[in-house]
Amino acid sequence: MSLIEWDEKYSVGVAAVDHEHRELIGLVNEAHERLMRPGAVEAVMDFLGEIFARISAHFALEEQIMRARNYDRYDEHKTDHERLLDEIRDMMDDYEDGELFSEALLAQQLKTWFAGHFRSHDARLHRNLD
Amino acid sequence: MIETIQRAGRRAFSLIEHAFDAAFGPRINPLYHLGALSFFFFWVVAASGIYVYVFFETSIDGAYRSVEYLTHAQWYVGGVARSLHRYASDAMVISVLLHLAREFVLDRYRGVRWYAWLTGVILLWFLYASGIGGYWLVWDRLAQYIALVTSEWLDWLPIFAEPIARNFLNSASVNDRFFSLLVFMHIGIPLFLLLGMWIHILRISRAKTNPPRLIMIGTSLALAALSLVYPALSQGPADLDTLVSRVQPDWFYLAMYPLIDLWSPGAVWALAGGGTLLLMLLPWLPRRREEPAAVVDLANCNGCGRCFADCPYSAVILQPRRDGLPFESQAVVEPDLCTACGICVGACPTATPFRRVSDPVPGIDMPSLTTRDIRARILAATASLTGKDRVMVFGCRSGPDLASLREPGIATLALPCVGALPPSFIDFVISRRHADGVLLAGCVAGDCYQRLGVEWTEQRLAGQRDPYLRRRVPRERLATAWVGPSGATTLAREIAAFRARLRAMGPYRRGPAPPPAAPASHPPEDRDVSYRVG
Repeated sequence: MSLIEWDEKYSVGVAAVDHEHRELIGLVNEAHERLMRPGAVEAVMDFLGEIFARISAHFALEEQIMRARNYDRYDEHKTDHERLLDEIRDMMDDYEDGELFSEALLAQQLKTWFAGHFRSHDARLHRNLD
Repeated sequence: MIETIQRAGRRAFSLIEHAFDAAFGPRINPLYHLGALSFFFFWVVAASGIYVYVFFETSIDGAYRSVEYLTHAQWYVGGVARSLHRYASDAMVISVLLHLAREFVLDRYRGVRWYAWLTGVILLWFLYASGIGGYWLVWDRLAQYIALVTSEWLDWLPIFAEPIARNFLNSASVNDRFFSLLVFMHIGIPLFLLLGMWIHILRISRAKTNPPRLIMIGTSLALAALSLVYPALSQGPADLDTLVSRVQPDWFYLAMYPLIDLWSPGAVWALAGGGTLLLMLLPWLPRRREEPAAVVDLANCNGCGRCFADCPYSAVILQPRRDGLPFESQAVVEPDLCTACGICVGACPTATPFRRVSDPVPGIDMPSLTTRDIRARILAATASLTGKDRVMVFGCRSGPDLASLREPGIATLALPCVGALPPSFIDFVISRRHADGVLLAGCVAGDCYQRLGVEWTEQRLAGQRDPYLRRRVPRERLATAWVGPSGATTLAREIAAFRARLRAMGPYRRGPAPPPAAPASHPPEDRDVSYRVG
């Protein structure tokens, strides 16, 4: 079973953003799948690195769209992006350093991390960009 | 030959620059703002010129009288305005010539930069034509001299049906309408100069047309003081029935005039024309081949526009998406404008060393030193480092020479520009413990060879410009040394001090996450991300 399922309610109504959200969900799910297989430490690191790069690009695009449309909560949303980037980097370091690490924990973290952004900020963005 | 001149020139400029750096600090060193200063002087000349024009009478008798009135009866405003008009024009000649000389000795005129150089050289003629026309209008003895010599000079060209010098042989032949024409030209030519100045900076993004405020204030005060202490004066009324025997020319504008008499108009045409032609051809003597231009990889580009926003040369543009993916735009590089500085890569969110899946190509990359190369070279350079004070030094090719830093504990990597380093590489080196600290070395702040590399880097580190350096990266493990190409000694000293601090810190340990940043008011992005069709 996938860690996260795409739901139409996640749509922010911007084709490019939705497209990347779907791609990211695919990537997170794939990472999760690898995580559940034994002996896949290296592969998981690779996936986390890829998620980090993709999400960085995704946030950059979202920020550009928000700026172009004078989104009123730009600053909060941007701060949240930076926080989320910090968090996935923390997860990567946790994994790499092998401290306090468990597969289940990472899966949970990934899910919370990803869904949190959807629920709070992107949902509001959706309502305001229409 | 050219390189010898450049080397000598660099040494000379460097001496003066260091003196100014010591006096004012590099950020308000006027030598790093010569182009912007020239714009500033233009505006001072324009503003004071408008005031003088209000009182100026466009007639043979009125011209001299009205200027005298301004200088003496209205010395506190009119006199100051006249003097500002004169001295700011002179200052503009100085700043423009220094600007030209400096860009030449720093080798910032060839390759992609030929356009600004060529247009700048043409502007010299407009600058001189603007200034000389002004001396004419005062209609004093110097003006009479200029009128005669200029017309002799122009008459040498076979373009006028009858010699215009004949107009200045006696007072009967100069009429008031001729003065109206002169005024018209003295306004028209500077307007063309301004238009040319705009064309001159077209190909660079975020051209600095205003010097830092402190420089503007200081320069204005100096000009005002000069105007009050040594007001510009006329040299007695012109009288076409007598021959001018002695004048005190303004050497900033009229240095060539004695030569017209001394040699011949033709010789001075040859000198001025030949000199201009030589200057214009300079970028191709020889031409510089830039490194291969930046390359966009569409599979990794979502059109976020960060490279477009950061490119100092407007070489990256955004165009409507063409590969069918549901993004609005894609980055496109115009190779003719690209200096291969790599600042676009430093801005690209996908240029990160943490990527390892298959072939981690970023959205935009430099063929001569790819993101993957940078990662590999960091790993290779840091692999042999030992101790508690290991430093990874990132430098730029135009900054201090890194080759002299070869000693145990120091790894170096020279980038085309320090702005080409994506901030996540700093995070990578420190958090993955490839070194205990990172030091960025580059051009003097305010005088980046690639224009904006140092500025963008500082803003990225401070979280004011995308991509931010992650807040978790302990800032005490990061140092910058903007020392310029002649600062190798200073750099070595700063590295030694940095390593001492690192030794005292002990090895890197991840601390608790820093408190979330308050959603500080974000500095507005001053470059609109919108389409430009190229």
